Amino acid sequence: MTELELSNLVTIKCKQQVVRAVRFNIDGSYCLTCGADKKIKLWNPHRQLLLKTYGGHANEVLDAAGSCDSSHIVSCSADKSVILWDVATGQPVRRYRGHASTVTCVKFNEESTMAVSGSVDNTVAFWDVVSRRQEPVQVLKDAKDTITSIQVTNNEILTCSIDCHVRLYDIRVGKMISDYIGKMVTFGSITHDGQCYVLSCADSTIMLFDKDSGELLNTFSGHESRDYLLENAINEKDSLIISGSASGEILYYDLISSKCVKKLIHNLNKPVISISHHPTDSYMLSASEDEIKLWGTRLMEMEQ
Amino acid sequence: MSDSDTDEENVIRYGTPLEPYEEDEVPAKRKFQEPADQYAVDAHGRRRFHGAFTGGFSAGYGNTVGTPEGWAPATFKSSRSDKATISSQRPEDFMDDEDRDEFGIAPRQLETHREFSGQKRQRRQFFDGPIPGEPVLEQLVRAVHDTAAVRMLRAMGWREGQGTGERLAKAEKKRAKEQHKVYGCYVPPEMRNENPTQEDKDSSDSEIVYDTLFAPDDYEPYILQRKNDRFGLGYSGLSRHSVLGNLVGEYGDAGTSKSHLTMKEKGKKVSIRGQAFGVGAFEADDDDIYATEDMSHYDFTLGGPAKDKPKKVNAKTNNVLNGFVKSSVPLPSVPSYPPPALPRDYTPAPAGSRRSRFEPIKEAPRDQGLGRHELTAETRGALLGETPVPKTTIVPETIPVQSDPIAKIVGRNVNFVSNTEKKTELDFIPIKDSGKEIQKVFKPFVGDPLKQARYERYLKNKDAILESDSNIDRLCEWERDRELAEFEQAAKLYKPLTGIMEERFTHAAEPDDAVNPLCAVAKSTNNYGLATPEQIEAARIGAFGTMTRKETSWRPESLVCKRFNVPEPGTTRDEPKKDDKPKVSYSIFSYLESSVHDKESFTKEQTKFSGSKSLSIDTVTKSKQAITEKKKDSIEETTSQTSVNTGFSKRMTVAELFLKESEKDLKNNEQNVVTETINKFDKMDLYKSIFLSDSENEEEALKETNTKDINDFIEKPKNVERNTSPPRGIFANIDFDELNSWKRNADDKIAETKTVNVTTPTNKTTDNEKCKEHTPETNEDGNVYGPKIPDNLKKRLEDNNTIVNDFKPIYRNKEERDIDSSSESDSWVEAKEIKSKKDKKKKSKKHKSKHKKSKHKKKDR
Repeated sequence: MTELELSNLVTIKCKQQVVRAVRFNIDGSYCLTCGADKKIKLWNPHRQLLLKTYGGHANEVLDAAGSCDSSHIVSCSADKSVILWDVATGQPVRRYRGHASTVTCVKFNEESTMAVSGSVDNTVAFWDVVSRRQEPVQVLKDAKDTITSIQVTNNEILTCSIDCHVRLYDIRVGKMISDYIGKMVTFGSITHDGQCYVLSCADSTIMLFDKDSGELLNTFSGHESRDYLLENAINEKDSLIISGSASGEILYYDLISSKCVKKLIHNLNKPVISISHHPTDSYMLSASEDEIKLWGTRLMEMEQ
Repeated sequence: MSDSDTDEENVIRYGTPLEPYEEDEVPAKRKFQEPADQYAVDAHGRRRFHGAFTGGFSAGYGNTVGTPEGWAPATFKSSRSDKATISSQRPEDFMDDEDRDEFGIAPRQLETHREFSGQKRQRRQFFDGPIPGEPVLEQLVRAVHDTAAVRMLRAMGWREGQGTGERLAKAEKKRAKEQHKVYGCYVPPEMRNENPTQEDKDSSDSEIVYDTLFAPDDYEPYILQRKNDRFGLGYSGLSRHSVLGNLVGEYGDAGTSKSHLTMKEKGKKVSIRGQAFGVGAFEADDDDIYATEDMSHYDFTLGGPAKDKPKKVNAKTNNVLNGFVKSSVPLPSVPSYPPPALPRDYTPAPAGSRRSRFEPIKEAPRDQGLGRHELTAETRGALLGETPVPKTTIVPETIPVQSDPIAKIVGRNVNFVSNTEKKTELDFIPIKDSGKEIQKVFKPFVGDPLKQARYERYLKNKDAILESDSNIDRLCEWERDRELAEFEQAAKLYKPLTGIMEERFTHAAEPDDAVNPLCAVAKSTNNYGLATPEQIEAARIGAFGTMTRKETSWRPESLVCKRFNVPEPGTTRDEPKKDDKPKVSYSIFSYLESSVHDKESFTKEQTKFSGSKSLSIDTVTKSKQAITEKKKDSIEETTSQTSVNTGFSKRMTVAELFLKESEKDLKNNEQNVVTETINKFDKMDLYKSIFLSDSENEEEALKETNTKDINDFIEKPKNVERNTSPPRGIFANIDFDELNSWKRNADDKIAETKTVNVTTPTNKTTDNEKCKEHTPETNEDGNVYGPKIPDNLKKRLEDNNTIVNDFKPIYRNKEERDIDSSSESDSWVEAKEIKSKKDKKKKSKKHKSKHKKSKHKKKDR
């Protein structure tokens, strides 16, 4: 259990007022922070380097995602727009204004040819990044309340909504499976094996669902969500579920036993809303207020 | 050196300098020319001249023949058939294109069309006829051939002899005449030597004041006179034909307009300008008769004597510089631009005072341009003369529907919105309300209050009307059936806007405080979205899975599929969008039409169309039969679905059973029993549609052969609203009843499944079971037309064959049936379903454990 000997490796003050989201890039060597100061910052968290600042949003940036080749960033904001950025130049390449309200979450598809965004206007929009088309390619209007998070796999899109439903759109089959959860879902993520989804609910629980049958497999509790839209993460081996907490802690749950195996303290009583796990290593990033922290084992850091 | 440099700098050169000669080089007179340059070539680069011997001009293709291939003898081609097309040959046909060039023998060039050239006036011809002058006929008959300019002028109102423009009074006209257009420098009017006497004459003429208006004068073209003498410019000798004439000079100038006899020195001397000999007879003074010719006698100036004019001018204009003229027209006033009008509530900010950025910003006024924005709803209403809606919560008085005058006059189908609506609801949307039920009940049957009440009950609970209708005996069964269909249509039609909109929105869980957006909001706990009560219940007890899961077809856009590298799912089957479209168009007219039919007309139609045999049946049983027919219909359909090939006879026997049944019921209590049977048949239809297997059908078929002869007696179901004239043309051999029964019954069955879903007992476990049971059933609905029933299902059916047989109503009496419908069917379903559920659970457990194992493995690594 070496992976649980985690310690705070790096602390970065982002100077972005509040970091709304922190995201690793595709290979985990860089990270993006979305700030309430309307800017996105690209960091090398391992070396505490600020690489670039992307400014152009008219309101708080709520989510961002890097493309698979790390050449583009797509971000969404409370200004109702989704912006595609060129990483190198720092210039916005395209600005999509299809949503009627705050855009809460955005993701690239696997080949970064399409961006999927969810909004407070209850819709999910598909944006063609490759062409110059300004209108959404498709809009999903099934949700009856705010879309809180989106996950995109190679052929599926998982959307979580405040209307207590989780909807899985299967492009290959042409089918939409909606699961009633009974609680407001603040964040959903899919395990790396693609079999389960992990849903953070507004009542301070995390629920593990089987994707195929829609059955509840496990429930994790111990963190505190209050009114925050807490995010969760799954470690690279699908063995642990990580969640932030309003108490300023980061909790590691064992996926099978649903016990809390580790508690990290980011900053007591300052809610840890956004967390992001390294895609291949046991690094983890957490954001609280305008501070992000990189967690990992000392040993790993030495190797690097 | 420096001087030369500066010289060069000072010199400005134009053009390119010639090449400087070498000192010892003698410039050649002629430049050397290449031999090729010496040949003249045409536009195509062919040699134009061949020298005298080879002769003249180039001709043909490449100076040889007319084709690139060379010379080829032309084959004879008869032109007899196309004589008409051949026009006469013209010289151009034999020319080369060079001949038509600018320098060719028949040059072609662009020319202005004759119509526009203005050159159309023909030269005067001299006519040698007996009558001198232009022939009168030619004057009369003249081709109307105006130039474009003339036509345009005509369009502007020009006539010959009249000018264009507004009509003028005489005085104006005269004034206009005075200021004619002059090109170049204009002699000021003061300087012009005007003839006052003439003017006076004119004015005296115009003493008779005309109110009439005249057209302005035509423009007189200034025609240059051709000079045909050899005198100096401006000099005119004594003209031969007007020695004494006081002619107006050709130049139109005041000076020249005078006679050649000018008075010098106030009448003392009259000298004759020009050269003449002798003295005229009219000359009184003959002193100067022999005066020698002197150059002073010659007029060297252009125009008349203008010596005394400058004096006049000087006298007149004192404070004007010499050479300038005081303008008669005042200078145009400088346009003044008034400052823009300030907005109404503008408060000037003093330049010195700077606003701190923490100062509260005055809220920007809304559109100030139009005053109507400032009006509130109340003031607007007051302006319009509306009485304000009382805001106090009044107990909603229920206005009797009959009191509505419009409803009375027009009938039942007019008043769509109820006027009994609660007025208190208009002010706000109740929060606690989940938004499930439709707020406003549309009242399509307002003319018939009982029917409206039934409709409302129907809306609340779709199948309650079937069972617990208090005034059931007032309606015949067929009428109720009909009404149900009507209600169904109406419910689809009159879905209010809120109903449509609520598909897109959920109700706010908290009141929206527009005044203070930062006020504390209580944590919302119940947000059900679209969840059904069953789903909520299942989620509450943690029974996630099939209960909470809902699958719908979803069609990704083709571009999405492309970008996700996924083949498009909908390419093989047809679009689900098309399926969503209702096959029946629910237009308001179709609805009105159907509701027009009442009982009398219906029965009339029935007796008319149903054929001779049914007429023999008692009219009391007729209505009953209508129901049985309908039932028979549905059964027919189910059996035909399960076994298409068993055919006509079997279906009819099933119907026969129902007829028997209904006859039995006749003996019993009439109405209530019918409803029961209907319910039971509904369920039975359902079960049969699910579980009827081929083997069973065969069994049935055997029995049914016995009762075949009775079948002939029984009517086939008929659509009474249909045109009953025998089919003609291509439809002659098609059995439409057969075809239609399929479609119609499919719809019926779907409705039935729905009702069963709703009426399932509230017991949770059975509820779950039921749903589980129904979901596969509904899935199978789509597969009914498919090749066969899955094997496992068939096996199950075979196992339970005996129980299924119990459902057949033929073998049992009423009491048995009652027991059966209440307990047996449920228990049977439950037992089976529990079993299946167990299987499922096992499976899932297995899966889960497997999953866990894998996880553990991973962990151990």
